[in-house]
Amino acid sequence: MEVSVIRSCSQATNPKTELGFSDSRFSFGKFNEKLFSRKPNSVSFESPLRRGKSGLRITAQAAQSDRLPKSKSSTKSKTLNRIRLFAGLPLDVVSGGTVNQFRAISAGLKALKLLGLEGVELPIWWGVVEHESMGKYNWSGYLTIAEMVRKAGLKLNVTLCFHASSQPKIPLPEWVLDIGKTKSNIFFKDRAGKPYRGCLSLAVDELAVLNGKTPMEVYQDFCESFKSAFSAFIGSTITGITMGLGPDGELRYPSHRGFAKSGTVPGAGEFQCYDKNMLHLLKQHAEACGKPKWGLGGPHNAPAYSELPTANTFFKDHGGSWESPYGDFFLSWYSSQLIAHGDRLLSLASSVFSDSAVNIFGKVPLMHSWHGTRSHPSELTAGFYNTATRKGYEEVAEMFARNSCKIILPGMDQSDKYQLKESLSSPESLLAEIGTACNKHGVGISGQNSTVGAPDGLKQIKKNMLSENLNDSFIFQRIGAQFFAPEHFPLFIEFVRKLNQPELYSGNLPTKEGTTTTTDSVHTRSNLSIHVQSA
Amino acid sequence: MAAVTIDSLLQNPTLLFRPKAKVLLKPPRSLDCSRNRKLPLSRGSCLCSFNPRRTIHVVRASSSETALIGNFDISSSDDILYKDIFPVKRIEKVEGKFFIRLDRSKDQHDWQFTVGCSLPGKWILHWGVSYLGDSGSEWDQPPKGMRPPGSIPIKDYAIETPLKKLSEGDIFHEVKIDFNPISEIAAIHFVLKDEETGAWYQHRGMDFKVPLVDYLEDDGNIVGAKRGFGVWSGALQQFSNVLLKSEASHADSQNNSIESKDSKNKNRCLEGFYEEQSIVKEVSVGNLVSVAVRKSPETGKVVVCLETDIPGDVVVHWGVCRDDAKIWKIPAAPYPPETTVFKNKALRTLLQPKATGNRSGALFTLDEEHFGFLFVLKLDDNTWLKFKENDFYVPLLGTSSVPGQYGQSDSTSEEISSKSYTDGIINEIRNLVSGLSSEKSLKTKKKEVQESILQEIEQLAAEAYSIFRSSITTVPDEVVSETETTKPAVKISSGTGTGFEILCQGFNWESHKSRRWYMELKEKASEISSLGFTVIWLPPPTESVSPEGYMPKDLYNLNSRYGTIDELKELVKSLHEVGMKVLGDVVLNHRCAHFKNQNGVWNIFGGRLNWDDRAVVADDPHFQGRGNKSSGDNFHAAPNIDHSQEFVRKDLKEWLGWLREEIGYDGWRLDFVRGFWGGYVKDYLEASGPYFAVGEYWDSLSYTYGEMDHNQDSHRQRIVDWINATNGTAGAFDVTTKGILHSALERCEYWRLSDQKGKPPGVVGWWPSRAVTFIENHDTGSTQGHWRFPGGKEMQGYAYILTHPGTPAVFYDHIFSHHRSEIASLISVRNRNGIHCRSLVKIVKAERDVYAAIIDEKVAMKIGPGYYEPPSGSQRWSLALEGRDYKVWETS
Repeated sequence: MEVSVIRSCSQATNPKTELGFSDSRFSFGKFNEKLFSRKPNSVSFESPLRRGKSGLRITAQAAQSDRLPKSKSSTKSKTLNRIRLFAGLPLDVVSGGTVNQFRAISAGLKALKLLGLEGVELPIWWGVVEHESMGKYNWSGYLTIAEMVRKAGLKLNVTLCFHASSQPKIPLPEWVLDIGKTKSNIFFKDRAGKPYRGCLSLAVDELAVLNGKTPMEVYQDFCESFKSAFSAFIGSTITGITMGLGPDGELRYPSHRGFAKSGTVPGAGEFQCYDKNMLHLLKQHAEACGKPKWGLGGPHNAPAYSELPTANTFFKDHGGSWESPYGDFFLSWYSSQLIAHGDRLLSLASSVFSDSAVNIFGKVPLMHSWHGTRSHPSELTAGFYNTATRKGYEEVAEMFARNSCKIILPGMDQSDKYQLKESLSSPESLLAEIGTACNKHGVGISGQNSTVGAPDGLKQIKKNMLSENLNDSFIFQRIGAQFFAPEHFPLFIEFVRKLNQPELYSGNLPTKEGTTTTTDSVHTRSNLSIHVQSA
Repeated sequence: MAAVTIDSLLQNPTLLFRPKAKVLLKPPRSLDCSRNRKLPLSRGSCLCSFNPRRTIHVVRASSSETALIGNFDISSSDDILYKDIFPVKRIEKVEGKFFIRLDRSKDQHDWQFTVGCSLPGKWILHWGVSYLGDSGSEWDQPPKGMRPPGSIPIKDYAIETPLKKLSEGDIFHEVKIDFNPISEIAAIHFVLKDEETGAWYQHRGMDFKVPLVDYLEDDGNIVGAKRGFGVWSGALQQFSNVLLKSEASHADSQNNSIESKDSKNKNRCLEGFYEEQSIVKEVSVGNLVSVAVRKSPETGKVVVCLETDIPGDVVVHWGVCRDDAKIWKIPAAPYPPETTVFKNKALRTLLQPKATGNRSGALFTLDEEHFGFLFVLKLDDNTWLKFKENDFYVPLLGTSSVPGQYGQSDSTSEEISSKSYTDGIINEIRNLVSGLSSEKSLKTKKKEVQESILQEIEQLAAEAYSIFRSSITTVPDEVVSETETTKPAVKISSGTGTGFEILCQGFNWESHKSRRWYMELKEKASEISSLGFTVIWLPPPTESVSPEGYMPKDLYNLNSRYGTIDELKELVKSLHEVGMKVLGDVVLNHRCAHFKNQNGVWNIFGGRLNWDDRAVVADDPHFQGRGNKSSGDNFHAAPNIDHSQEFVRKDLKEWLGWLREEIGYDGWRLDFVRGFWGGYVKDYLEASGPYFAVGEYWDSLSYTYGEMDHNQDSHRQRIVDWINATNGTAGAFDVTTKGILHSALERCEYWRLSDQKGKPPGVVGWWPSRAVTFIENHDTGSTQGHWRFPGGKEMQGYAYILTHPGTPAVFYDHIFSHHRSEIASLISVRNRNGIHCRSLVKIVKAERDVYAAIIDEKVAMKIGPGYYEPPSGSQRWSLALEGRDYKVWETS
């Protein structure tokens, strides 16, 4: 489950102004960007006072001086545009064209609406819609959901999933898997040559491997069909579309396979450049660089999936191959292939939906294990050339900006203190790093929680919401038995309610933007005191 | 002087938990230091302050009471041996008027719709409108301009507007709604709510509908123009707890004809109308009965002076007793005037009106040797007033001879009554304040709206949860297999169920009021189940003389104030569908008769079980039973059934079997099992084969000098004896644990929670698998509040019982309150860690301000303000949840 929090930029820089809404109702979902995003904090200085004892007095006097209506309305709208929260519907909410657990979904939607959520996220699976044969789409179950969501008065963020899910089991379309049986090179392969059947290899994007069509063409047809089937909803109920970019919908290589057991230290992951087409591209690239020998395969000294980075010499902190000219050659190529793939898909989505009033999102993983090493092995194998010496997310953010897309960052519930020490993991600093890159390129960030969950997750999410790591929306993953369970749901209610009256986490503000924030709040304060005096 | 001091230390006979020995003669010095250091002991006049009840009286400052006390002139009278004032509650019918009116407003342009009610109360009009073209019975919010000031929107379909008195002198609380007849509004819908009692006044379970256009379809709930007086009164008859005057009831038939005429008459214009009807509301009224005992210096006799402010004829049904067993005897004459002998067991004296005020009273002159004076009151409407299901008891002093056992005072109960008084006052003040400041009440309103939204969210979530949960088949399977590995032999026995049961008491003292409790509860079934409850205890189902069901009459008539037999079946079915077992509340101790015998005593039964007086025990003076002597304590308000009679047992077994079969009950909650031998219970349980059974064996804990004894072994022994007599076929409510929790929490004496052997001090410490732990029920809490759990400490109580062995029971009022999520979390901790009724508890701390225990080495808990953290040893503890003065950890 994830919740999307959306707020306007000016709000984001001034968390202090949001202190005053302790008694507001649960409806803070509406986004009123036009009215308020450009307004400076001049309207907001009254609200912080409301909480203190002096606030009472001021309110009363404001009422006498006929100022109350104005201050009231500003208070209210600020509450409203503060946060947009989404919750993800179950992954298998639709199967075979019908809605599963219809009654539970409809009760759940009502509950979320009453709670003041902006909307829900709906995963739409390639393997469900275009299940049988190419070009034959069955949208019926998803249309039912869209109608339910519309009736519930909620918004919808649709995720187009061009990948498979292992739990619950939702494979790629049957006809794609059939093709894969004979042409296993449409899938990513690891060093051992084992294919990954969770999505197609990015190397075949532009190759006509699917019954004479390229995957890009198939993806485009899918998007077009979606657009016409949901034309009644797009721009009204459907306000966001998330483009699936790879394994689990994320822009990355399937460098980790299977689930790491909890409590065990995750390995470095493996490079996935061993399918025929990837190898071909690598070879071409090496030859173009004048280093044909470097194009024969991936790094020979990289550890295997679950091996520690230190198991071999490629990721060694000092003197590892990653720092060598070969390392730079390989990693540049490997990561640029991923970014090019993301660029292709996002520009496809942007052009298909260019005339629709929707935001396009793409998801970037939070590969936070081993972030404490110099080489960041997990990020490297996943395709992000981000190390202690190189800011790899700049290129990613730039690509999103180019396509006017927003970024979804999962793992907002992960905090450093609950990571295994041995994994040198730091979700918080990685998040801040990506956040900084996005802010620099003006890319909106929507948050998600990790699917595995985390201790004190809600607290961490809230903390992130108040920081620069998040400025668009939050999608809480994911509705289901666990979500509504008595041990979780009351906490969630509490979480949602508290979002209206956040505490300050000034310590979490990144230094760069933090300066602005501080100035703002000082400014607010001084206004405040003036107001007190004049009142 | 010594005699005067007795007053202050005597316990209050009105208390439910009565120490065995009561009377005392103690030198004043011992009281002084132990009870009230602040008061200098000046003997005599100041002594009254030793009695905690006295403070209450002062606070309450009821005028009638002052007068009552005044009569005895305490401060100057040396020979008062005993004095007390018993608050009594009775139901009085208050009559008033209720009207609706539709007329043109002054400017003759707009129309005005008025609802008024002359009954006292905080009346709220809960209303909405329907628009032209709307179908169905959905409400909409009226346009803004139509809402009178002070209206509060409820969700998106209704408005609540308080009825107000326009000026001080007005009889009616009114609300006026202006509207424009040209508007799109087709009808106004409303129900009335009395905020004081929380009662809704509806029309045949529907809303009232006032059509503003004439072609609306009649759903049977239309009131107003051209519909005649009768419809209106017919409608009022359906008011859930408003009693109509009987004359109005025959109007229905006339009306039908009017109605049909009406429906032909299409296209009529809006016409004004005015409808009014007398209605009667049942209001509980507090009165006082004061008793003083004085020794007559001249005759040496004891004079009992009894006075009350209850209006009308009051008959005292009285006797004396020779010892602590309180067996009624008739004392020697003389008796007061207007006294008759009643069946050689008791005397009846009509109280004589006093010259001053609206009071009546009598003087009883008795010989010195009597131990106590017993009485109950009979009012002119044939109502019996007892003291909390017991006789009033007044100790007489002349007999005291063993000073050692005297001087006890039930401090717990006293504090409770004191608390309820202060609560009442606080409420009154609150009402006053909120009445003055409408803004404040608006705020409260807003909060209430929020609360109601929250509740709806929680309900929806519970529904979603139960469906999602049921569709995941793998997870519950794992849970089950896990349980099986930890407890290989899960054997279901009627005393324990599976051993993993968690009980929900599915009603409170007010539940009968809506008359559709079964249906209301049905809507909550999945919600309750989703919180983790496995067993639910439903209210007594039979026809009953009292609305709550504990005075059963025809056992085979299951239409009660809670709903019909069919609704009950439907409810049980729904509960079964969500996986819960259902307990029927069966009252086997007593049964109300249908007919009088030749002496005019009610002891002949009707219905399918048409027993005669052989079914009634012989040793209750009131009912002239011809059966054997009772095998237990007597319940005096109704004939006690003689279970030693073969035919009675056979019939009861058959009845229980029928309940199992016909209704689908899975087990029993047995009412007042103190009244008969546990061996009979065994008989009944073996015959009816319940999945779970629990008995209510409720008697008083032991106290010394007003302090509850640390050692309550004798109390729990009595309960264990009873369980033993049932051969372990039934569990029993762990009253001991509740009592000890009271003292421990209220007085910050957490050391009480460990007995001398380091075990839990309640029944749960001795026979955990048969102990049903609870902190509140419909008698102790709810609106009766006979023995309310210390306020604000409920969650500590639940943190204790929901982590400890025994089978915990949670009271309905607590589930549907702000405690809900904490309770749900505690239940989920219990389930997650597989805590069951036989889990092992290791008490690690029982000190003044903190109690801590580790259960099954899986769950650690502490209650109390003091510090405790579980040991950081081989086990890793993580905090599972924490609340006010409690924490619970589980192993991670």
